[in-house]
Amino acid sequence: MKSIWHYGLAWALSFAMLGSAHAETLLVAAAASLTNAFKDLASSYEQAHPGTQVLTTFGASDVVLRQILEGAPADLFASADQAAMDQAQAAGVIEAGTRRDFARNTLVLIVPADAPATIRTAQDLRRPEIQRIALGNPRSVPVGRYTLAALQQAGLADLLESRQILGQNVRQVLSYVERGEVDAGFVFATDAAMAADRVRIVQTLDTPTPVVYPVALVARPSLSGAAADFLDYLLSEPGQAILARYHFSRP
Amino acid sequence: MSLHVDFSCRIGGPDGFLLQPRWSTDSHRMALLGPSGAGKSLTLKAIAGLLRPDRGHIRLDGHTLYDSRAGIHLPPRRRRLGFLFQDYALFPHLTARQNILFGLHPGWLNPAGRTRLPESARHWIQAFHLTPFLERYPDQLSGGQRQRVALARALATRPGLLLLDEPLSALDANLRRHMRNELKALQQAIDIPTILITHDPDDAEALADVVFYMEQGRVLAFTPPTQPDSPFNTRQPHDPTI
Amino acid sequence: MWTPLLLSLKVAGWATLVASVAGIAVAWALSRWPSRWSDLIDAILTLPMVLPPTVIGYYLLVLMGRRSRLGAWLHSHGIELVFTWQGAVIAAAVVAFPLVLKAARAAFLDVDHALEQAAAVLGVSPAAVFFRVSLPLALRGILAGVLLAFARALGEFGATLMVAGNIPGRTQTLSIAIYEAVQAGDDPLANLLVVVTSITCVAILCLTAWLMPGRNRQRGRRWSAP
Repeated sequence: MKSIWHYGLAWALSFAMLGSAHAETLLVAAAASLTNAFKDLASSYEQAHPGTQVLTTFGASDVVLRQILEGAPADLFASADQAAMDQAQAAGVIEAGTRRDFARNTLVLIVPADAPATIRTAQDLRRPEIQRIALGNPRSVPVGRYTLAALQQAGLADLLESRQILGQNVRQVLSYVERGEVDAGFVFATDAAMAADRVRIVQTLDTPTPVVYPVALVARPSLSGAAADFLDYLLSEPGQAILARYHFSRP
Repeated sequence: MSLHVDFSCRIGGPDGFLLQPRWSTDSHRMALLGPSGAGKSLTLKAIAGLLRPDRGHIRLDGHTLYDSRAGIHLPPRRRRLGFLFQDYALFPHLTARQNILFGLHPGWLNPAGRTRLPESARHWIQAFHLTPFLERYPDQLSGGQRQRVALARALATRPGLLLLDEPLSALDANLRRHMRNELKALQQAIDIPTILITHDPDDAEALADVVFYMEQGRVLAFTPPTQPDSPFNTRQPHDPTI
Repeated sequence: MWTPLLLSLKVAGWATLVASVAGIAVAWALSRWPSRWSDLIDAILTLPMVLPPTVIGYYLLVLMGRRSRLGAWLHSHGIELVFTWQGAVIAAAVVAFPLVLKAARAAFLDVDHALEQAAAVLGVSPAAVFFRVSLPLALRGILAGVLLAFARALGEFGATLMVAGNIPGRTQTLSIAIYEAVQAGDDPLANLLVVVTSITCVAILCLTAWLMPGRNRQRGRRWSAP
């Protein structure tokens, strides 16, 4: 229900903004896992800065990266893993000097809320009755890369064989688990919190590299004037407080 | 009218049918007679500009309609001809009135329902007794009515030459005789030269002063009407001039 | 709920218009000047219907993004297509185009060529022949294609998401909104949006069927007059 309010609030605010003249418009392109948090951040920033409109677009980090590489007019890029940001930096599409880590997440193993309590750790996934395990596609989705790395580090990568269901983004993985289409899935703690009543967190996994979210200004000649300010806002106390509400931790 | 036709056209690829009509005439009423597949219809279409020959020329009353050496090929709309198609080619989505007025309106829109009738159109509508049928669509008309609408449509634009593609072929014997006489009367009433295509020698005799006989794409001979013999025993092939 | 609906209607409406004009023009050209390349051209232009929309979106993004020559040129003239509703229109038009093309080409081929010849001999220009004879006679078949194109454009998702992004208020069409609601686990909202989309589509299709020209006159009915 929370998400209706957030969606409704963001929509209502954007609708209210439609008629007014904007001193500044800002477009933030962010990873799908940041959807709800960033919508909240956008609307509270707009309230604090009347006359500024913050537009958002969300998608898998790699899709958003591709869009920015091709010159899409975003002002900020917030990705769900360092690899996507590294690529952006290497291609020169972001201002390297503005790159900051603004939030941290943890990788969790979840099962549908009504699943029997037989799975207590990732090891238990080896059981024969576990037919389907959802994870993000490691080739294109950050959560998938973290999942694979964590499993490899724990020597458990083989349990994925012939049982993996790949999701195009983390929300899809969450959705599969929520609806009971799969027996278990790997998502971020923030995503699991979104569906707290429909999934159950079984275990928090260690990842070889911490799940830290970077943000940077996009290198564009016509960069919005509010872009740098919004980035600072992400790192400020009010911004971090909002992120904490969604179960992100400090970077 | 004076009409000079001398062109060649290969239809349907390098091994296809070769159309090579050649004739010259001053006659007011001309017919092309021959079996089906002779190329009569194609020749008529070439005169109308609907078919572009490979080389040669077509001259009507001193105007060049087509000349390959001079690079001239007048589009159909500039030739001021009337064409009666074999199945009349009436526009099925327009009423009889709209069909008849079609050539008189140059724009991109069809004449609307109740436009006033220009004199040339009104003349033919009355001459062919079409007034009761003006608001009907072609599929609501009989064959004879359709032919009259098609004729009125062609004549309303005051063409300089009227081309008739087998106008009587689809009719049964009685109706055929009747229509033959009607067409003959029409020819006498209008001042417009006609070229008729038919495979029936009686049609040719009734409706033409000169008959050119065509077979396999070539004009083989001609008959002036005073000679009752068959087309075969007149002048030599490839010399059809009057 | 209204913003995505209005945006969807706007995008689908424009996309259908663009796809229809282009589809009719190409279909007429193919039917009027047939060559041995005609079928090949037809097949290539039908590709957007066969390729996954995300792939099409990717190609469009590469083609129109600022890093490409075309995109840079557009940008220098102040035209922005990526992340805008205009980009969404292009994405939807590209996937809807083959539907109009195929229907229109078949419809034009069905028009008796003798009628076009008769019109030409009667003295009207080639453009007038098209608008007064070819198009009216092919209209029924073309409209069927246009309606399909509209429905396709309204439901377009993958290519749109790639090219226009997912920006509420700007490029978040109904289908993308539904997707996001599903992803967020917001079933009530998703269901509402699905119902809205369905009602809209059915209403428009019914309205157009009712307005279809000549529905009271059935061509092909054979009478003999008294």
